Amino acid sequence: MKGFARFLPWCVVGLCALHLVQAMLPERTASDKFNYDAAGRLPVVDGGRVKPLDTFARTNLMLVSSRQTYAQNMDAPKQPAIKWVLEAMTSGNNEESAVAKAEVFRIENDQILSLLELKPRPQWWRYSLAEIGDKIPVLVNEAKRVDRTDPKQRDQFDVRLLDLTQHLQLYVNIAQYRDPMLIAASDGDVNHWMALGQAIEAAQNGQSNPNTRAVAEILLAYKQGKPEEFNRKVADYRDSLEKVYGADLKKTDFEVFFNHFEPFYQCAVLYGLVLVLACLSWIGFSEPLNKAAFWLAGLTVIVHTWALIARMYIQGRPPVTNLYSSAVFIGWGCVLLCLVLERIYRNGLGNAVAGVTGLATLIIAHHLAASGDTLEMMQAVLDTNFWLATHVTIITLGYTATFVAGFLGVAYILMGVANALTRDRIKTLSQMIYGVVCFAMLLSFTGTVLGGIWADQSWGRFWGWDPKENGALMIVIWNALILHARWGGMIKQRGLANLAIAGNMVTGWSYFGTNQLGVGLHAYGFNNTLATGLTIFWGLMGACILIGLLPLGCWRTPDAPAKMPVLTGRKKEVLTTPS
Amino acid sequence: MEKTVVPTSGPAVAVTPTPTAPRRKRSALENLLVPLASLRLTVWLFVLSFFLVFAGTLAQTEFSIQQAVDQYFRSFFVWIPWQLFVRFGQIFFGFPTSWSVSGSFPFFGGWLLGSALLVNLLAAHLTRFKLSWQRSGILLIHSGLVVMMLGELVTGLYAIEGRMAIREGESINYVEQFDKLEIAVVDPSGKTEEDVTVVPVKLLQRRGTVTHPDLPFDLELVQFMPNSNEPRKATAEDKNPATAGLGKEEIAVEVPSRSGADPNQRMDIASAYVTIKEKGNGNVLGTWLLSQWYSRPQPIAVGGKTYDVALRSKRTYKPYTIGLIDFKHEVYPGTNKPKNFSSEIRLVDPSRERDRTVKISMNDPLRYRGETFYQASFLEGDIGTVLQVVRNPGWLMPYISCAVVTFGMILHFGLHLLRFLNQRATTAA
Repeated sequence: MKGFARFLPWCVVGLCALHLVQAMLPERTASDKFNYDAAGRLPVVDGGRVKPLDTFARTNLMLVSSRQTYAQNMDAPKQPAIKWVLEAMTSGNNEESAVAKAEVFRIENDQILSLLELKPRPQWWRYSLAEIGDKIPVLVNEAKRVDRTDPKQRDQFDVRLLDLTQHLQLYVNIAQYRDPMLIAASDGDVNHWMALGQAIEAAQNGQSNPNTRAVAEILLAYKQGKPEEFNRKVADYRDSLEKVYGADLKKTDFEVFFNHFEPFYQCAVLYGLVLVLACLSWIGFSEPLNKAAFWLAGLTVIVHTWALIARMYIQGRPPVTNLYSSAVFIGWGCVLLCLVLERIYRNGLGNAVAGVTGLATLIIAHHLAASGDTLEMMQAVLDTNFWLATHVTIITLGYTATFVAGFLGVAYILMGVANALTRDRIKTLSQMIYGVVCFAMLLSFTGTVLGGIWADQSWGRFWGWDPKENGALMIVIWNALILHARWGGMIKQRGLANLAIAGNMVTGWSYFGTNQLGVGLHAYGFNNTLATGLTIFWGLMGACILIGLLPLGCWRTPDAPAKMPVLTGRKKEVLTTPS
Repeated sequence: MEKTVVPTSGPAVAVTPTPTAPRRKRSALENLLVPLASLRLTVWLFVLSFFLVFAGTLAQTEFSIQQAVDQYFRSFFVWIPWQLFVRFGQIFFGFPTSWSVSGSFPFFGGWLLGSALLVNLLAAHLTRFKLSWQRSGILLIHSGLVVMMLGELVTGLYAIEGRMAIREGESINYVEQFDKLEIAVVDPSGKTEEDVTVVPVKLLQRRGTVTHPDLPFDLELVQFMPNSNEPRKATAEDKNPATAGLGKEEIAVEVPSRSGADPNQRMDIASAYVTIKEKGNGNVLGTWLLSQWYSRPQPIAVGGKTYDVALRSKRTYKPYTIGLIDFKHEVYPGTNKPKNFSSEIRLVDPSRERDRTVKISMNDPLRYRGETFYQASFLEGDIGTVLQVVRNPGWLMPYISCAVVTFGMILHFGLHLLRFLNQRATTAA
C-alpha cells in the first residue's frame, strides 16, 4: 500500500503527460486520400490578418454550429471543419450535394423552428441548408423587419433570427468565393489579397495572378474527386508561396498545430481531473491524492502557459486582447495563485480551488469563442502593446485574485456547513483569503489607475466615469472595504469569507455586467448568454452568502461557535479609539 | 489605523489591545477628531461610495455620461430614480420591459462622499500619526490617494475641453466648445479675424435683451432651440417669427435634445430667432433665424455698415494655428475595422517662432503650451480631422498618485507577507 501511495502521483501525472503527447501528434493521411491537414495549412487573409485556412474553417463552423467539427447528422462520424469549407466551395450551390445536406446550422429557438416548419431535434438542434432551403424567402422577409426595428427593442426571436440569416450569409459567401481572401498577392502586401471570385474577375480583366490558377486547380481536383492530384497541387501551391510568405507560413503552420492540439480543451479536461482528485482526497488517501492533484495541476498549468505564449506569438500581442483571452488568462492566474497557496499551506484547498477556477474559466472561454476568431485584430484605440501589456494584464490579474479570494470564501462557507471546519482550517482559510484580498487590492488599484492614465493618453481624460471604469472602481472600493472592515474588527473570519464571496459578485458585474448596459466606450455589445450566465453566478454566490449568514447553530461544526463571533462587531469599536 | 490591524497570524489577539502608553486626558480637538477618524465610518463611507458608483453607472442607461457625472459624482446630493433598478432587473432578472416606476430618492453625491472620506482619512492620520517602517506603506498609500482625490477635484473644477475640427488643407487658430454657444458679430472691415464681438447665448437667455458698447446693435432673444431640425422651406401655414435674412424663406423646428445613449454620438444642432434693434432708439430692424445648420454667417446692415452674424460654438482664439496636411483612416484589409486614425498637422506659432509638422494619432497626442491635442474623431467622408484639445492643470496628479500608492502597497503588503512567512518558518522549525 505504501508503495502504491508513493507511486500514485507519478502514475497520474505520467499518464496525463502521455495523453498530451498523443494529442500533439499529427494525424497521418494515406497518399490516396485527401490531405485535409495540408489544405488547412494554406494561408488566407480574413478579419485583417493572414491565418491558415484551417482557422478560418474552424471559426466559421464554430459560429454556425457551435462546434469545430461537423457531421452529416447526429449519428454520423465527425469530420474536420476544413472539409466543410472545401465542400462548400466546390459543391455548396448544389442542393443535392452532401454538404448542403450536412446538418450544421444550429437552431434552438422554437419560434424560428416553427417559422421554418422544422421539427425540434433535442440534443442535436442542427439543420442542413437543404432543409432550410425553400423557406429562405420567409427568413429574409423577417430579417428585413428586424433590421428596421431599434436594436434595443429586439426580442430573443429577433436576435436569433438575425444570427441565423448571418450564418446562412456566411455559408453563401464561402460557396460563392467571396470569403475568405484566398488568393495570395504576388507582391507580398496583405492589402492586395483577393477572394477567389474577385481574382477571377480581375483575371478576366487582364490582371492575371498565377496564384488564382493554382487555387482554382486545387478546388477543381477536389471537386473531381482526385485526391492525389489535389494533394500534389496543394503542395506545389504552398511551395510557390514559400519565397514571399515564408515567415507567414511558419506562423500559420504553428497555428494549425495549435488548433489541432486544442491546448485549452486539454487543460479543461485536466483541471476537471485535478478537481476530482482534490475532492477524493477528502474521503481518503489524503496525502497521495493531494500530491497527485498538485503535480497534475502543475503539469496542466505548464500547458496552459505554453498556450498563452503561443497565442502571443501568433498574434504578436500581450496575452489579454479581448473577452475570450481575458477568460483564459484569468483561469491561468487563478490556478497559479492557488498553487502558490497550496505550496504554502499544503491542505488540499488550493488544489480544489485551482481545479474549479481553471475548469470554470475555460468553459466560459469556450462559450465566448463562439463569436468568431479569438485572435481578432485590435480596434484602433486598443492598438498599443504597451497599455495592453500593463493596464489590461494587471487589471485582469486583479480580477483573478478577487475571484480566488471569493472561491476560497465559498470553500469556507461550504466546509462550515458541511462540518468540515476545524480550528486549524478556520485559521488557515481566513489567512489565505486575507492574503489574496491584499494582493487583489494591489493589482486592481494599480490596474485601474493605469487604465485612467491610458485614457489620459488617448482621450485626454484620466477618469471618464464610463461603466467599465466604474466597475473597476467598484472592485477597488470593495477590496478596500473588506480590508478596512477587518482591520477595524467589524468582521472576523466568517464575515471575511462572506464579503470575499460578495467580491465575486462585484467582479462578475465589472467583468461581464457593465458590457450589458450597452453604453460607454468599453461596451462590446449585448450578449444574452452572458447576461443569463451572470444572473446564475450571482444567484449561486448570493446563496452561499445566505448560508454564510445562517445562525451559527445551524453550522454543525463542533468547535466553531467558540471561535467565530457573530458578524456584528459592536464591542470591538473600542479598538478603533485609543483607550 | 495600524493599531487596529489584526495580526494575520492570530486574529484573536486583536480583541484585547495591549495598552502601550499610559492614559492621558484627551484634548478638545482630539474629542472632535477621534469619532471622525473611526474605521467604522471609513467602512460605511465605502459602502455608500460603492452604491453611488453603481447607481451612477446605471444612470448612464437613461442619461448621457456627462449628465450622470454632473448629477452623481460632481455634486453634493443626487436624486436617484427607482426606475434605474427596474432597468437593471430588466437586463439581468427578466423583469418585463413594460415595467416603469416613477419617483426617486435622495442620496449623497460624489463631492460629499469624497470630502467625507478625505476628512476621515486626514483625521485618522492626525490622531494616530506615528512614523515607523510598519506604517510607512500605509502613509504612502493614503497620501497618494489624497493626491488622486485632489486631482479629480482640480479636473472637475478647472479642466477645459474643446475641439478643433479642421478640413484637409485648412488651418484654424481657435478651439471650439460645443457645449457653449455664442452669437458672433464680425466687422468684416476689421483688421484681424479675431475682430469679433460675441454674446454668450446663456447671457442672452438670462437677460432677454443684450445691449453693450461693443455691439453695433441690441439683441433680443425670441426663441432658442438647443436642438433643431435642418431649416426647411417655410409654407403659408407656418407662423414664421423671422422677418429678415435666410429665415424669411426657411423655418427651423425644435426637436428634443439627444441623450448620451445615442448610439451614433450625434450632437445637438442649435437654432435661435433673434430680433435686432437699432442702438439707442429701439427701432426694430427685423427678426433673423440664426442656426448652426448654416455654415456661413448672415450679413446684417446697420448704420451704413454690414456685419456678419452667426450662431456658433464658443471659440477661444489661440496664438498659434494648426493646419491639417493629411488625415488618414486606415482599416484592416478586407474589413471595416479601423486600424488607425492619424492627422499630419502643421503647427505655426509666430510668437514662439515655431513652424513644424507633427503627426497626431490614437494613443499618441501632441502636448503644446499646456494643452494636449488628441485624435478624437473625423469629418464625414474622411475630409478632415477632429482634435480634442484639453487643458487640465491637474493632469500629472494621477500619474504621481499611481506611482506612490502602488509603491506604498507593495511596501505594506510585502512587509506583512515577509513577516508572515518568517513566522511560519519559525513555527515550522
